[in-house]
Amino acid sequence: MSGTSVLTIELCGRLVEPIGSHITLHIPADGCTADVLLATAASQHPALAPALAATRVRVCVNDAIVTGDAWVNPGDDVALFPPVSGG
Amino acid sequence: MSMIVELLDRPFDAEAAMVGFSRRVAGAGAIVSFTGLARATAKDGQPIEALVLESHRSMTLRSMQQIAADALARFSIIHGLVIHRTGRVLPGEAIVLVATASLHRRAAFEAADCMMDRLKTEAVFWKREEGPNGHRWIEPTSADGQDAARWHADEARSQ
Repeated sequence: MSGTSVLTIELCGRLVEPIGSHITLHIPADGCTADVLLATAASQHPALAPALAATRVRVCVNDAIVTGDAWVNPGDDVALFPPVSGG
Repeated sequence: MSMIVELLDRPFDAEAAMVGFSRRVAGAGAIVSFTGLARATAKDGQPIEALVLESHRSMTLRSMQQIAADALARFSIIHGLVIHRTGRVLPGEAIVLVATASLHRRAAFEAADCMMDRLKTEAVFWKREEGPNGHRWIEPTSADGQDAARWHADEARSQ
């Protein structure tokens, strides 16, 4: 039976507004893709869902921006980046 | 050749940094510098009390270093300097300083221009303006994207 693992995710920029700078997610114990991780964040934290849907959010895993099909494992250092700004 | 890249969480003296830079670039025929300052007024005319730059503990400096390394590889510059603030920047304070030195002016101008365009669009910062009525996150603009795209287009043509 496959279990789940708890992953702490850092939120950056305007994503901190709804519920703060860190969230915990329950992800499959053998990991998931970055796209699934984003969908999981929205479903497990509904207050964050509008902010995630409003802009293109990129997933940073172990100090690298990854594509949606990249694999995220329990224990990885994960942050969510909204678009970086001009101004 | 050398490139110094710094991310600072406190005000810095851009003029003093340029004095130091000029001393290090003996033999250069050209020095170009750009200093970006925090404005006191937003685009909509509202007063700005502070510009707050959020950064990531590792990715922000890494993105700045990549932009600097690319410029060093692409343009014929001898030395470069990039200093960028993070945290709360007050109106009139320097947000960013980019300096380049080369044998001839064109490379120094282009390298500084290119690094600034990329710092504005690709460096990992999230910015918000704080004013009397609360704060507002700054969105990337299409003009910033077009400025940075010039350099990518040039790169594609030169290949």
